[in-house]
Amino acid sequence: MRKEELGHHYSRQFDEELETVRTSVLEMGGIVGEQLRLAIRALVKGDSELGEKVVYDDHKVNSMEVAIDEECSRIIARRQPTAGDLRMIMAMIKSITDLERIGDEAEKIGFLASRLAAEKRPENRYREIKHLGKMVREMLNLALDALARLDPEAAMATAERDRQVDEEYEAIMRQAITLMMEDPRSIRRVLDTLWVARALERIGDHAVNICEYVVYMVHGKDIRHLSYEEGAA
Amino acid sequence: MVSRPAFIALGRLLMLIAVAAVAGLVFGGLLFWLVGLLAAALAWQLYNLFRLERWLSLREGKLPRGVFGVWGQVYAGIYRLRSKHRERKKRLSRVIKEFRRSTAALPDASVVLNADHEIIWLNRAATELFGIRKADRGLRVDNIIRDPVFVDYLRSVDQDAPVEIRSPSKPGARLSLRLVPYGGEGQQMLLGRDITDRIRLEKVRRDFVANASHELRSPLTVINGYLDSLTSDPELPGAWRQPVCDMSHQAGRMQAIVEDLLTLSRLEAGAKKPARDRVDVGGLLAMIRKDALSLPERPGTIELRLDSEADLTGAENELYSAFSNLVSNAVKYTPATGRVEIGWSVDERGGHITVADTGKGIPADAIPRLTERFYRADKGRDRVSGGTGLGLAIAKHVLERHGATLEIESELGQGSRFTCHFPPERLAPGDNVVNLQQA
Repeated sequence: MRKEELGHHYSRQFDEELETVRTSVLEMGGIVGEQLRLAIRALVKGDSELGEKVVYDDHKVNSMEVAIDEECSRIIARRQPTAGDLRMIMAMIKSITDLERIGDEAEKIGFLASRLAAEKRPENRYREIKHLGKMVREMLNLALDALARLDPEAAMATAERDRQVDEEYEAIMRQAITLMMEDPRSIRRVLDTLWVARALERIGDHAVNICEYVVYMVHGKDIRHLSYEEGAA
Repeated sequence: MVSRPAFIALGRLLMLIAVAAVAGLVFGGLLFWLVGLLAAALAWQLYNLFRLERWLSLREGKLPRGVFGVWGQVYAGIYRLRSKHRERKKRLSRVIKEFRRSTAALPDASVVLNADHEIIWLNRAATELFGIRKADRGLRVDNIIRDPVFVDYLRSVDQDAPVEIRSPSKPGARLSLRLVPYGGEGQQMLLGRDITDRIRLEKVRRDFVANASHELRSPLTVINGYLDSLTSDPELPGAWRQPVCDMSHQAGRMQAIVEDLLTLSRLEAGAKKPARDRVDVGGLLAMIRKDALSLPERPGTIELRLDSEADLTGAENELYSAFSNLVSNAVKYTPATGRVEIGWSVDERGGHITVADTGKGIPADAIPRLTERFYRADKGRDRVSGGTGLGLAIAKHVLERHGATLEIESELGQGSRFTCHFPPERLAPGDNVVNLQQA
C-alpha cells in the first residue's frame, strides 16, 4: 500500500462528511465570534439597537448547533467511526455545545448592553470591559484556529491565556466594589457591568474547553482538569 | 517504420549466424556453434540492457564511456532526449518561480483555491492579512477566515462585487476581498486588499465636511438675519436696494447648500438603518405636488397618478426629501408649457415611483455623473436657477439606504424620467381598510 493512502478512508464520502462537519463547526464559530464582537461594540458605543440585534440573532447560533448535532449523530449511526474519527466527532459535538454557550453569553451581553445604553455611561467608556473583551475574542479566535489546523501546541498556548483573563476579571471585580462603595447610586449599573465581565470570563473558559478538545482529538489524551493542578504545582 | 540501429542489429545478427554456419562447416558441430554464438550475443545484449536500466535509474547520468555500436546510438538518443527535457523543465520552473516571486511580492494578499475551496497556494501578504500560513495548504479557506460575511460570499453565486471584512490576523485592519476564477477545474483566486487607510480617509473627509458645514451655519444665520432686516428697511438708499437683495438671495442659497451638506453627511454617517415607519406614499406625493404647484415658475401641468394604494416602509422625512428633490428638479428644468408627471405603481418586482418631465433632457454622457455632489450638466443655467447641486446626491443616498435604486432615462429635447425602484420587501399593503374600521 502506498503511504499517502494510509490517512484516507476507502470511502471518500466519509472523509467529506467529516470535513463538512468541521467546516460547519468553524462557521458556527465565526458567527459566534461576530455576535461577541457586536455585543461588546453595542455596550461600548451605547447602541441599544445593536444590542437587541445580537439578542435576536442568537437563534441562528442555536439552530446551527441543532443541525450539526443531528449531522454528528447521523455519522455515528451510519459510519460507526472508530479511533481518530470517533474522537473527532466527539470533539465536534462538545465544541458546538461550548460555542452555543458562548453565543448565549454574547446574547446576555447584548441584552445588558441595550439596558445599559439607557444609563449614563461611565467616564472611561467601559475601557476595561473593552480590554477584557478583546482578550477573550482573541482567545476564541485562536482556539478556533487551533481547531481548524488541528494544532495541539497552539491549543495549549491559547488555553494558557485564560489565566490573564481571570486576572483581568478579578481586577474589574475589585474596581467594581470600590465604585459601588463610593457611589451607591451606581450599584445597579455597576452590577450590570459586572455581569458582562462575568459573561466574558465564562466565554474564556469555553474557549479553553475547545482547546482541550483539540488536544484530545489529536493526541487522544484528556487534559481536562490537569492544567490547573500542573499550574499550581 | 524501422529505425536504423535496428537494421544494423539485424545485420549483425545475420552476420553472426553466417559466421556460426561457416565455423560449423569448417570445424563441424554446426548446432553447437550456432547455439554458442547466439547465446553469447544474447548475453551481450542482456548485459547492455542491464547497464541501460541502471543508467536510466540515475537521475543525472552522464553519457557512459565505452559503449559502441547500436547501444551507443541508443544511449546517445536517450541522452539527447533527457537533456532536452531537463532544459525545458528548467525553463518552465524558472518561469513559474518568476511568476510566484512577483505575486509573492505583491502587497495584495492572494490565495489560490481549488474547487472545494481548499488552499493550494498563497503569497506572503496572505499570511499577514489573512493569517494563513504555508502549512495551511490543503485546509479549507473558510476554516481560517471565518467571518460570516466572507463565508456567505464564498458560497454565493454572484461573486462580482467585493466584500469588506475585518482582518482575522492584523488587528484593526479592514480588508476588501474578491474571488476571481483562476485557471480551469473550478480554481479560484482569493484577492485581499488592505483598505484601512481608505476607510479612515473617507471618515476624515466625511467628518471634515460635516464639521465645516456645521461651523458655517451660525455665521450665515447672523448674516442672513441682518440682510433680511436690511431688505425690509424703508430707509435703505435706493442705490443699495438691488445689491442687498442679491446678497440676501445668495446668502439664502448658501444656507440651503449648508443645510443640504449637513443632510448628506447625516445620511452618510447614519450607520443605523433608516426607521421602518409606514409611509403613506400617496399622501407624501400629493404634498410634494402641492409644494411644486406653489412655485412661481412652474410648468403648466403637474400631474399625480397613483396606480397603487401600497405603502412603503422607511423613514418618512428622508423619503420626502428624496422625492421632493426629484420633483423640484423636474419642475425647474421644464418650461411653462411643458408637463411633469409623478407616478406610483407596484408590480411583482416591487414599487416604482416615477417623475417624468417634458423638459430639455440630459445629455447621455452626463447621466452617470448626475448624482455626484455639485455636478452640473448645464454649467451656465443652474447657478442662476439657484439649486444647491446636492439634490440628486441626497436622493441617491436616501434610496440606497432604503435598498432602492434610481434609474435615469433621458432624451435631449424630449424630457427625462427618473424612476425609484423599491424592492418588494419594502412594500406594505395600504391601510385604507384599517382606517375605515377605526372610523
